[in-house]
Amino acid sequence: MATPERVVIAAAGVVTPIGQDLEAFWSSLVTGASGISQIERVPVEDLRVQRAGEVKKLGRIKDWRGVPDCRASRLLIAAADDLCAQAAFRPLPLDPARVGVVVGTALGGVEEGEKVLAGDRGPRRLSQALYDGPGWALARWLGARGPVITVSTACASGATALAVGADLLRAGEADAVVAGGYDALCRFVLRGFDALRSLTRDEVRPFDRRRSGLLLGEAGALALLVRERDARGPRLGTLLGYGSASDGFHIAAPEPEGRGLERAIRAALADARVSAADIDMVSAHGTATPLNDRIETAALKRALGRRAHEVPINSIKGSLGHTMGAAAALEAFMCLLSGQRGLIPPTLHLEEPDPECDLDYVPGEARPGRPRIMLSTSMGFGGCNGALVLEAS
Amino acid sequence: MGAPAIRGLGVLSGTEAKSAAGASAGATSGNSTPAKSADWGSAGAISGPPHVKGLKNETVDSKLEILTLPRPDRPGDRFRRATRECLLALAAVDAMLEDGKASREAIVGERTALLYVTAAAYGASNRAFIERRGGVMHFAYTAPAVVPAEVAIEFGVAGPYGILIGGAPATLRAIEQAGRLLEAGTCDQALVLAVEIFEECADLYARHRRSYRWPLVETAACLWLERGAGALSFESARDGRRAAGAAEPGERFAAGPLADLRDWRARATAGPVELSGRWRGEHARLLWSPEKSHARGSAA
Repeated sequence: MATPERVVIAAAGVVTPIGQDLEAFWSSLVTGASGISQIERVPVEDLRVQRAGEVKKLGRIKDWRGVPDCRASRLLIAAADDLCAQAAFRPLPLDPARVGVVVGTALGGVEEGEKVLAGDRGPRRLSQALYDGPGWALARWLGARGPVITVSTACASGATALAVGADLLRAGEADAVVAGGYDALCRFVLRGFDALRSLTRDEVRPFDRRRSGLLLGEAGALALLVRERDARGPRLGTLLGYGSASDGFHIAAPEPEGRGLERAIRAALADARVSAADIDMVSAHGTATPLNDRIETAALKRALGRRAHEVPINSIKGSLGHTMGAAAALEAFMCLLSGQRGLIPPTLHLEEPDPECDLDYVPGEARPGRPRIMLSTSMGFGGCNGALVLEAS
Repeated sequence: MGAPAIRGLGVLSGTEAKSAAGASAGATSGNSTPAKSADWGSAGAISGPPHVKGLKNETVDSKLEILTLPRPDRPGDRFRRATRECLLALAAVDAMLEDGKASREAIVGERTALLYVTAAAYGASNRAFIERRGGVMHFAYTAPAVVPAEVAIEFGVAGPYGILIGGAPATLRAIEQAGRLLEAGTCDQALVLAVEIFEECADLYARHRRSYRWPLVETAACLWLERGAGALSFESARDGRRAAGAAEPGERFAAGPLADLRDWRARATAGPVELSGRWRGEHARLLWSPEKSHARGSAA
């Protein structure tokens, strides 16, 4: 079988609770900064847990004229603004019809739906409430007129979006693709996770024996993808492979043995044409729920074998909260920056390792190391599992 | 690339519900009454009256009709909290298996891919969660990902997985993506599932009456693909135009191409099928030659 064309991540842009550009995001990760705070933008008095990784003020863009009054769209566009600043990508330097947009989200513009049902009859509100509304808003802001795709594999959406973006390039449907993920905090999701009792009142402590749940976060994370033969100038790295699999087990709980995640990892390694022995670092989904971290540890051990015990593994959700649709894209960028900068960000708040999570989860401080090939894992509602294999430049 | 062949296709459509249960049954509009039960052959898993919520504080033009599908009645405690769109997805897979003359074991396992497409089916559960303040609707059921999850759980589908949000072009893209997965050997068979329901948000759609081709036709469909020898080409373009008005049989969003495919098979037409669709200014077209031996009428 022919080797698939390599797809390069030429640049990335983010807006997160710990920084509103890629450099600030990276600096905060390696210094162990936390973006968790009291939620201010939406009322939360009735909720059991009132903290999250909230972006307090979207400061990148001063003039929002022409952009929908939609938080999700604005997170996405703020991330795109960072991306475009780095890659000189706005105005578009190529035929707009050859520029695609692929975004992943767990919630789309559902906050706009809340507004509609509360009586807001704005003419465009309903259109923005559909889960693909923000993706189209991004395409309009960019001036892109190629394919516009929204994927929603729950909290694995960011990984799926990067993979679908790469597929668009390989299929020749576009010459450049802006791909990634986003999700905004809103009453809908805060109430939902509060009702599920998935949120912690403590810190988010991935792989710690005291871990008691996750906190949500909001973010936008976008990459500029191009075929390797078209890549010019600096680049972050290469997307080597992707794998997905469904658990087929439960709508909200992961399969107890992590078989779906294991299949996704194996598929990603096969797609990337690398073996477990080639992996130098793992970015774990690491939500800090009691179930997730134990199951993920077991899946990594089975999929990577001995190598699982040899490589550094981290989770950045202690710093950001769980940013849902943006999470996998942010974690992919973190992996590539680790390879470039020679530092592996720590798993924040991991202080007392769980004996059942007995891999090297990088507690404490950022660790020197220059991984070349990285694995990033994601799991979501509905038994969605995704895995990316990345190579740093 | 080699085109996938059709192994089975199940389509449950609000138009059949209407014809099966009487001229007005199955339709929701501003002054409609709940439809009677419908029973359609291979979709016989569906019975019972449709779940009509009524239109809140809205005066809706009676011409703005929604052809509804009833909530399927599926035994088992596991489905107690399942949403209508989830149950319709399961019924569509049942119908697909019946069309393919296969048992459910035929799609079990890691070698079956599942691609789900919807533009708006999650709107019903999202609304229920928002309006009932989270007390009734299980939050997990608000995620679009839960519809294919229920299919994966019920039928043991554990292979590659994808969920696209969008209208007809997204479904055409999913068929093409399924073809690529099959050709690459990533899976041995692929299911393309599309579900659209409108009834619970009828008042909201009515506010944007000029944006859609009425009636809105609730549809749940599942297409079963395997490797084939034909040809397939996909193209999409942005021309900015809205969907053409007054076209039969109304608007089905993502489920439209699968209903069109069913109609094409029912006509037993030789040669390739051309499927097309439009959404938010994107127009997509799929020209496809599935294996002729599979071109038979759908039982659904």
